[in-house]
Amino acid sequence: MTAVQTAPPRKRKSSLKMGLVPYLFLLPNMAIFGLFTIWPAINGFNISMYSSSNGRTFRWEGAGNYQSILTDADFWGIVRNTAIYAFAFVLLSVVIGVILAVLVDQQRRGRTFFRSVFFIPVLISPVVVGLVWNWMLERQGGLVNTFLGWFGIPEIPWLVDNNLATIAVIAVGVWMQVGFYMLILLAGLQSIDPSVYEAARVDGANRWRQFISLTFPLLQPSILVVVVLATIHGFQAFDYIYTLTGGGPVGATTLIVQYIYENGFVSPIRYGMASAGSVLLFCAIFALTIINWMVGRKREAA
Amino acid sequence: MSSTTTEAAPETLPGKTWTSTGKNNITATDALRVVILVTSALVALVPIVWLVLGSFKTPTELSARPPLLLPESWGISNYTDALTRFDFTTYLFNSTVVTIAATVLTLAINSMAAYALAKYNFRGKNGLFLLTLATIMIPLQVILIPVYQVVASLGMVNTLWGLIIPAAATPTGVFILRQYMLSIPDELIEAARVDGSGEFRTFIQIVLPMCRPALAVVAILSIMWRWNDFLWPLVVAQSETVYTLPVALARFTAEETVPFNLIIAMSVVSILPVIILFLFFQRQIVTGIANTGIK
Repeated sequence: MTAVQTAPPRKRKSSLKMGLVPYLFLLPNMAIFGLFTIWPAINGFNISMYSSSNGRTFRWEGAGNYQSILTDADFWGIVRNTAIYAFAFVLLSVVIGVILAVLVDQQRRGRTFFRSVFFIPVLISPVVVGLVWNWMLERQGGLVNTFLGWFGIPEIPWLVDNNLATIAVIAVGVWMQVGFYMLILLAGLQSIDPSVYEAARVDGANRWRQFISLTFPLLQPSILVVVVLATIHGFQAFDYIYTLTGGGPVGATTLIVQYIYENGFVSPIRYGMASAGSVLLFCAIFALTIINWMVGRKREAA
Repeated sequence: MSSTTTEAAPETLPGKTWTSTGKNNITATDALRVVILVTSALVALVPIVWLVLGSFKTPTELSARPPLLLPESWGISNYTDALTRFDFTTYLFNSTVVTIAATVLTLAINSMAAYALAKYNFRGKNGLFLLTLATIMIPLQVILIPVYQVVASLGMVNTLWGLIIPAAATPTGVFILRQYMLSIPDELIEAARVDGSGEFRTFIQIVLPMCRPALAVVAILSIMWRWNDFLWPLVVAQSETVYTLPVALARFTAEETVPFNLIIAMSVVSILPVIILFLFFQRQIVTGIANTGIK
């Protein structure tokens, strides 16, 4: 699930067979990994068949949790919010990421500076990102509305109106992450052999033509990585939204992870809903990742 | 920082429009590009600058409408107040301990696993490597409830161990270190063996020192992740004594129990270490991320 350049395992001259030794080297990592990732991933399906209101005593439900969650109007509202968020987030991340990467790549002077500046929001604690933007988007006297006021734009109720809050959450998400995607795309751009441009220039292709017929196709593998990662990140969004809108107004920006968290850990606890939601989220991420790869592969082949 | 400004020569071709660094040759496209880049840089930086400026403002200055650009004085009372009047030192301490301990643990177990996967042949090797890679697709958010169940049954809820151990076996770290170790020649390891060095000693004394660049990348990534972690600490650290900085910031903001000027000061404290780390290790971070595509 990465820009894996898996070099095929090299043939060794002498095979290092040491019996137990490699297993002992693997043991600590695999023990923690198995206990806190693999076992829970399997057990998640099992837990989703039970309900609990305290996380300690469980009652068998069978497919009951899925039945109630899939007929729950609130849940579908959250699915809708998450889908809108994820789609807009992926689209904007890719478009803005590509634009920034191309501009940074062409910039001679201060290239490293711009690269670093765009990356800084990625480093900041998402909790703080939510805090700052909540403060800046305040309706009265927030920095954003004050700035817009200079151009005669009246106060905008960013975090009060449902649609505006959705837009704000998406925009802040992109603000926070796009520098990361830009970095991957920039690495992709810089791995393109400059001589292909040379040839295009001799043929008299202008910059736009060069971008469409050379850069964009050659950048496809990096774009694919970004689409896959942004999709996963989009479905994971939670931390900065928690401090930006808290999921409000009236649930308009509550996404699936917050739904899982609240049902699992904030009273009234509905463990069954939380675990069934997790399994559905896993299926969604898994399916979308596979689709992304297949579409990407096909494009590459074409 | 890197070798980005090396070649400017091949631009002297006749029909050049691609980039112009030559004298008096600034095209409209170049100007537009710079304008877009500078505007974007401002958008990226303004919130951070605004936060830092805010951390020096008094509550009165913060509630001024329209907002004041600069504080009247650059007093640090928001910082000292936050650290003395509230338990922010505890949260700072917790965050630091968790970050350092988790990073050390990650480096230790990831490098050992990576060594086995890179330099030994054994049954199940490819399967274990693929399994490790595949779990990058299973984010914590998806297994939150079952992982919590495991941690609860081990009695690690409300302990720092509960924050340190579960996230330590990062697939990313194993992957980066394995790729790096593949490039270490087997002959070196063989030679150490012939000299009678034990397997573990070879690993510690020969292999690990050669992996320093890769270890640095993993360490930096781990520090960034653990320091900014939120969802997992939110779930595990339920009592105030084990809060990390992000959990404390989020909880106190939601409950409005701590004045906003102090929240701002502590927010600055929580972003500083990572930004400083980045400024020092930019190149490693950038290449590490570009090569693996993992955050």
